[in-house]
Amino acid sequence: MPPTFELNRASALVIEFRNVGKTYKSLLGNSVKAVEEFSLQVVEGEILGIAGPNGAGKTTIIAMMLGYLRPTKGTVEINGLPARTYIERNGVGYLSELIAINPKWRAETALVRYATLAGISDAEIPLRVNEVIEKLGLAEHRDKKVKALSKGNLQRLGLAQALLRDDQILVLDEPTHGLDPVWTQRFRDIVEELRRPDRTILIASHNLDELQRLADRVAIIDHGRLQRVVSTGYEQNAPTATRFRLTLAGGFDQIRESFPLAESGGRGEYDVTVRSIQELNTALADLISRGALVVSVVPERSVLEQQFREAVGESQ
Amino acid sequence: MSRGRLGKYSLWQFRDFVVERGVAILIIGLLWGYVLIAPFRAAGGPQLKLNPSSPMWPLLITVASSIVSLSVLIAVNGIVSTDKKMGYYRFLFSKPVSVLAYYVQLYFVHMVGVVAAMLVLSGILRTIVPDFSIVNYLLYTALIFVAMGGIGFFISVATRFDWVTLAAVWLGSRALRDLYGAKPGLPGKLVQVLPPVHKLDAVANGLITNGNAPTTDVIWLLAYGSLFFVLGLVLLRQGSLAD
Repeated sequence: MPPTFELNRASALVIEFRNVGKTYKSLLGNSVKAVEEFSLQVVEGEILGIAGPNGAGKTTIIAMMLGYLRPTKGTVEINGLPARTYIERNGVGYLSELIAINPKWRAETALVRYATLAGISDAEIPLRVNEVIEKLGLAEHRDKKVKALSKGNLQRLGLAQALLRDDQILVLDEPTHGLDPVWTQRFRDIVEELRRPDRTILIASHNLDELQRLADRVAIIDHGRLQRVVSTGYEQNAPTATRFRLTLAGGFDQIRESFPLAESGGRGEYDVTVRSIQELNTALADLISRGALVVSVVPERSVLEQQFREAVGESQ
Repeated sequence: MSRGRLGKYSLWQFRDFVVERGVAILIIGLLWGYVLIAPFRAAGGPQLKLNPSSPMWPLLITVASSIVSLSVLIAVNGIVSTDKKMGYYRFLFSKPVSVLAYYVQLYFVHMVGVVAAMLVLSGILRTIVPDFSIVNYLLYTALIFVAMGGIGFFISVATRFDWVTLAAVWLGSRALRDLYGAKPGLPGKLVQVLPPVHKLDAVANGLITNGNAPTTDVIWLLAYGSLFFVLGLVLLRQGSLAD
């Protein structure tokens, strides 16, 4: 039996993948299984990340969720309706990995067109379009043709059209692809602003750091299969040993009193391994009480990164 | 949440038609018409004495009907396949609009566009050939749009190489009917299911010249195109937009 993951939460179920599979068949009869036995539930108010290596099946899963691709097996439902039916009735905010907008359109008119299709009234269109243009820093590019936009600006235009409506569901596929560090950070702020108890956000990315920061849970996919669903918060009694990097500004000679196996990395940095967060905190308290000045404590790998390595390693 | 304003979006669809196809149709039509008319005008003066009894009238009808066929080919080429090929469907259909309704509307917007382009061209022709009926020509245009455009729509849903396929189907049907249409046996029966392009000449002559065409031929053309248009919609509904 494939692994199934069900949330034990009171929040309303919004998106449900039920044993979904997608097999591509060539004219010569060769077949490739892109997605297999994928089951997952996403609830209201949640930000769910979808992580996986390139070619893992993330984009295929999203295409099936949007009804752009018909599953070979299983069903995808949104709020109890077949996915395509739901979208044709309600719409979703969607940013695709590849930003495909007619290159002859101008940035602003592209947004006006999408706003019209999104059902925004004539009176409201200029307001909404201006709002997303300001939010995404596109004011100086509004009259440019899409083909004249840089990769980063095109990505922002793609995000702008996804935010035109106040959609209950947002689907963002590799949202920071092509963005510079400033806009990557701005994007994270925007997603945090978008978080709402009645909104569900899906973010597919191979950037684990991004998912660790934004998502509540992350579904790790490899070879078209759901490997595991990881909660991005640190668990108090995580059973696995975790390495942290400590940076000290003083009291260097005290480090081995509190962390006997600490390895020095130079410049006041030390690598320590603990079996739990409690053990880390106890040792840190001891170190500080001995007069050491702790500047930072950073996990060598995030919970997600650790889980990702294990999951992808297992699947291979 | 409100539904998408598809009707309002038809204005954008029409604008795209004009910019991307309408101008090309007008240029091709004008050039083609000029090549035909210029020698006659050089010989007979600005007001041509062309009328249905003139020996050159069939040539005029042939050129006029060919422009319609070419315009329909231009109008339906990529009507669905371009959105699929270029990925434009992704943002369009994340909005609350029906995929079927979007393409049905686009098909009719393109029909209006082709009829409008033919109105311009036939208006110009009428100033030179007073016996040329604009109304009859527009009726013929609408008929060919349904007959040929319906097949083109189906092909655009089914394949990415739609204009090549439609041209091949159109010309191939004509060639195969010429070869096997009158022959007995299986080949003669099989070619009967091909698009009824062999009826076009008679319909063009009758409809453009005096507004009359064999009813069965008109019905056959309309039914054939409509059937394929509906099959295209079914395929669109059952198939995937993404590869």
